Amino acid sequence: MSGHGHGSGSGLNLTLKIWRQKNAGTPGGLVSYQAHGISPDMSFLEMLDIVNEQLAERGEEPVAFDHDCREGICGMCSLVINGNPHGPDSATTTCQLHMRRFKDGDVITIEPWRAKPFPVIRDLVVDRSAFDRIQAKGGFVSVNTGGTPDANATPIAKHEADLSMDAAQCIGCGACVAACKNASAMLFVGAKVSQYLHLPQGQPERYRRVLAMVAQHDAEGFGGCTNYQECEAACPKEISVRVIAEMNRDFLRATLIGTEL
Amino acid sequence: MDGDVIKVPAPGVSKVIDRLLASTIGQKAIMAVTGFALVGFVFVHMAGHLQMFQGPEAYNKYAHMLQGMGGIKWGLRGLLLVGVFAHMWAGVRLMMRNMSARPDNYAVNKWLAASASAKTMRVTGPIVLFFIVYHLLHFTLLKVSSQGFEDMVYQLNGVGDVPDVYQRMVVSYQNPVLTAIYVLSVTLLGTHLAHGIQSMFQTLGLNNNTYRPAVQVASRALALIAVLGFVAVPLAILAGVIK
Ligand code: FES
Repeated sequence: MSGHGHGSGSGLNLTLKIWRQKNAGTPGGLVSYQAHGISPDMSFLEMLDIVNEQLAERGEEPVAFDHDCREGICGMCSLVINGNPHGPDSATTTCQLHMRRFKDGDVITIEPWRAKPFPVIRDLVVDRSAFDRIQAKGGFVSVNTGGTPDANATPIAKHEADLSMDAAQCIGCGACVAACKNASAMLFVGAKVSQYLHLPQGQPERYRRVLAMVAQHDAEGFGGCTNYQECEAACPKEISVRVIAEMNRDFLRATLIGTEL
Repeated sequence: MDGDVIKVPAPGVSKVIDRLLASTIGQKAIMAVTGFALVGFVFVHMAGHLQMFQGPEAYNKYAHMLQGMGGIKWGLRGLLLVGVFAHMWAGVRLMMRNMSARPDNYAVNKWLAASASAKTMRVTGPIVLFFIVYHLLHFTLLKVSSQGFEDMVYQLNGVGDVPDVYQRMVVSYQNPVLTAIYVLSVTLLGTHLAHGIQSMFQTLGLNNNTYRPAVQVASRALALIAVLGFVAVPLAILAGVIK
């Protein structure tokens, strides 16, 4: 642990209750661990790294958790921390959460995303490939090959570009599903739909996209939206539920009027 | 990208209906549209009730006019019945789907944003349904009360003898227990509407970040107006203002 506890004397002493589960087929449960001398400057994942080093030293199986960039941009990290997907800070991924947010003596319960379409692979790692399958159904645009188009060839109003870019902030982490009491992925699908529907490039597949992506969402077994707005509160990228309204509007239009308008 | 990746069957009328019934958004749209019709009825019904303040002549005349609508009356009743059933069907289906989408709950289960009204939709909905059935048995089918409703007849100007629905209402809500049941049920209806009305807009896609705060306020304001409009009559009867 030396080298990690810099700057704050003895650091934080915490009780961690971590979900341990061998695989999807084996039932899991919460196991308590003590973490000593945790520096408030550490990130939450660094704290788990320390715990894992200690487990490895004792010859125990380290806790499996997802992570990659640790910069808040890849969407790999997850974890429901004391009931909050990505922890207590708003607009913050777990990898960007710092231990200074916690107090000495805190009990921290760490659970995986919970949804039928997100089965646990091991401990805190869940299988989010359902999102890939939804994305594959329509999260793309068709582009002609050939010479590089002139940068100003397709003008886009600033307002529309902003709406598209806000939706494109989605990193596909699945916190919306984790937070939703219905395990609905409507915020994710809405973000992917909205990202394209505000751009001229998104128009050719616009209505087929929304029908196909929503159909895949439903087929994966995600719940329906009851407008609790929990997703918006949990989203580390602050995607607004207006993307759900936009998706609903396009879905209903496509369903009632037809796909090729 | 392979042209086969997005495959959606060409729409026909049956396809449209299939798609609405099969998808979560379609089911929600059914809830929203039927909800809209039911909210419309709630306000018409409330406006009718408030005529109790104008005395027995006005109220009985209004009731007589409604009874005289014949085919239109039955048509509207039929529509309401279909609306209630479709609203329930979609609600129950979605609820069952939503429960099965989260088979294992969290050890620490937290709410981050939802209003009390949103959280209790599943409870307030069925209670309001029970109340409506009870209310119909009471005043429309006359199966509940032993207050002698059949004998209450009113001499309406230029018409003659009509059922004295004014008197039936007064007799009923002079009873504090019946008034309490009514006030409680209508308050729960208001709770249901406070989330339901704004949810309707969001579900049908009639919402964006500019309108959203206004939709939210309007939804709660309409719910409050409905509650106040409904409880005014029985409370006025209990207080002796209407007699
Ligand atoms: S690890 Fe990449 S977003 Fe957290």
